[in-house]
Amino acid sequence: MFLVTDLLVLLGANLILVQALGISTIFVAAGNRKNLICTAMAITVFTTIGSAGACAVDSILPKSAADLRLLLYVIVIGAVYICILTGTYMLNRKFFESVRRYIHISAFNCAVMGTLLSISGRAYDTVGGIGFKGYILGGLEAGFGFIITALMLLAAYRKLNSSKVPASFRGFPAMLVYLGIISMAVFALR
Amino acid sequence: MYSDPANKTSSRFDGLLADNTVLSALMVISPVIMCSDTLRNAEALIYAFSAITFISVILCSFVPRKLPYAVKVIIYAAIAALVYIPVKSLAQVTYPGIVSRVGIYFPLLAVNSLIVFRGESLFYGVKKARMITSLTFYILGFDAVMLVTAVIRELFTYGTFNSHMVDVSPTVSGLGMPFGGFILLGLMCGVYRKVRSALRPASDAEERKEGSDVSGN
Amino acid sequence: MHFIDIKNNNNERHSWIDMMLTLLTLEVMSFFYNGLHSAALAAVCLISSLAAEAVCLRLMKRSFTADDLPVSTDALITALMLPAVFDYAPACIACIFAVVAAKSVFGGRNNMIFSPAAAAYCFLYTSWKGQILLFQQPHDTAGVFETPETLVNSASHVFNTSGKFAYSGFELLMGNFPGPAGAVSILLLLIASVILIARKDISAGAFTGTVIGVAVMSAISPCSDSFVSSFILTLCNNMMLFAALFIISDRRIAPKRAYYAFFYGFFITVFAYVITVTTAKENAVVIVSVLFTPVSLGLKNLEKKIELAVREDLSPGASGMEVKADVQ
Repeated sequence: MFLVTDLLVLLGANLILVQALGISTIFVAAGNRKNLICTAMAITVFTTIGSAGACAVDSILPKSAADLRLLLYVIVIGAVYICILTGTYMLNRKFFESVRRYIHISAFNCAVMGTLLSISGRAYDTVGGIGFKGYILGGLEAGFGFIITALMLLAAYRKLNSSKVPASFRGFPAMLVYLGIISMAVFALR
Repeated sequence: MYSDPANKTSSRFDGLLADNTVLSALMVISPVIMCSDTLRNAEALIYAFSAITFISVILCSFVPRKLPYAVKVIIYAAIAALVYIPVKSLAQVTYPGIVSRVGIYFPLLAVNSLIVFRGESLFYGVKKARMITSLTFYILGFDAVMLVTAVIRELFTYGTFNSHMVDVSPTVSGLGMPFGGFILLGLMCGVYRKVRSALRPASDAEERKEGSDVSGN
Repeated sequence: MHFIDIKNNNNERHSWIDMMLTLLTLEVMSFFYNGLHSAALAAVCLISSLAAEAVCLRLMKRSFTADDLPVSTDALITALMLPAVFDYAPACIACIFAVVAAKSVFGGRNNMIFSPAAAAYCFLYTSWKGQILLFQQPHDTAGVFETPETLVNSASHVFNTSGKFAYSGFELLMGNFPGPAGAVSILLLLIASVILIARKDISAGAFTGTVIGVAVMSAISPCSDSFVSSFILTLCNNMMLFAALFIISDRRIAPKRAYYAFFYGFFITVFAYVITVTTAKENAVVIVSVLFTPVSLGLKNLEKKIELAVREDLSPGASGMEVKADVQ
């Protein structure tokens, strides 16, 4: 029972279906299983670690300097980006060559930035804040939401790119309509 | 899929029609889906996107080309985040309440992929005059889509045009929700592709092939 | 063990005729209870769907043939899920949406992804929620341009919120309680299910999975006094039986193999049951069926891979043995 309600909550806060973040990235992710796994993992790592950095930024930043939040988030994501690139390069050159594309497209992504801004907004609206744990959980939730939506799209990828789809709608337009109808069902259940 | 500025056959006007920022190049989609439910929101976002992107790309064009790609991307994003601050301040004066209404999509405009990723390939390899023209048309491409979407959605969701009542019945409240934006944008993308292929059949035949035509479902 | 085969046919046109007959029977029952308005609503849905289909086919440079007539079944299913006094304009818009956005964009009947009727219902649920959940009392008939003075919540709503169903077994079977036009005639739906399964017009696996899902959830977490009453009332409320018959068991959408279709139907029902019990949401099964579309697509991909693997295993020198796909 609780699994179903948890899944419903996850869908209800889904960054793609409800907030329309990371749409171009998910199109890449749904191309094949390798793209899906690599992109989803990269996004999850960025959102989770980025959330931790965002927590630190929010705790230090005074309200008068709230306009600097975006710049500081960019610096945080930039630092994570460089660290991940350096780390994977030093770990294994071959592995680095295979995953660097996914790291590049995941770093300054609407999904990652949007997640940080959403969590920050949620923390601001909650009396007493949401704590470091809340930030991390928010980042993980966004990552899982991305994975779920990417799986939904992977299941339909062949059909959406089939020769039976009118040429004008083949690929991205059909994908948008497909996600729209799924999103409609999520909103109907909310 | 996108026009290559080094390619002499591509035009500086591509961003508006041939390689529309949203409908073809698939950039800056989230604000169009989430925030183009009224003309007022669209106007504010058009102003923010245009100002941030124009100023940021011009500033970013001075970043040395020889730097590593990752470092350049971070610098581009940082420049855009800095430009965002005065643009936001002016928006709060010109469009009161818009920043809170639009929420996270206002700052997200600052780190849009046109500045952070695509600027590298579209703008920085060409002369400044051509860059500015091309950039202007890419910005206009976003503006046009935003306007058209906002007009349609406001008209059929709320029965208003720029907050003035218009006799439209029945109204479809779902069109103002995110899924309405998804579906409308998807349909607009398809119609745009159809019109473009009718006007330029040769080049679109190549693009359709690269649209991963997986036959057989 | 074999089903009683009244007529062994896989012809889509014959399936369409069977479906239309069952749907028209439900429509006649709705007309009897609700008056001319329900018939007019069905006509509006039919005409708008057919027109939208004709236009879309024209744009796709295809001609309208007899094989495209199943659009009329989707239209009737949509009409039967609505209150009999629903406004014509939103119903028309929903049918056009179903044909254009939920069907033609993906390639039409040759590449179905969503059930058009379910998508139309979700569209109406999100855009006209207030109207879609208010019904007239049975025998409170309305003319073509009339609306009854008082509209009430459905019996399903009362059941979801209070656990009580204030109608007798006979009234339940005859559909003499407020609810969606076609989803309340339980006896007709039961007869239709037997006929359509016997004639292989719907996915028996998906239908069985739905019914078993209701039984399992009624046993685990009954929403009424006993397992039996919970099972019966769950099946007869919230459009469960109607959706099981015309949406979940739609052969165009459900997985082909009975084994996969069973689990597809089962998990939709489990999900919908939990949502209904925890949030009292009405007609959740229709919305959940749209949400579970990727599951069906995933299972179909799996079926394809299995078929390809089986074909690859058959070497050219093998005896003329054919692989029987467990297609229901």
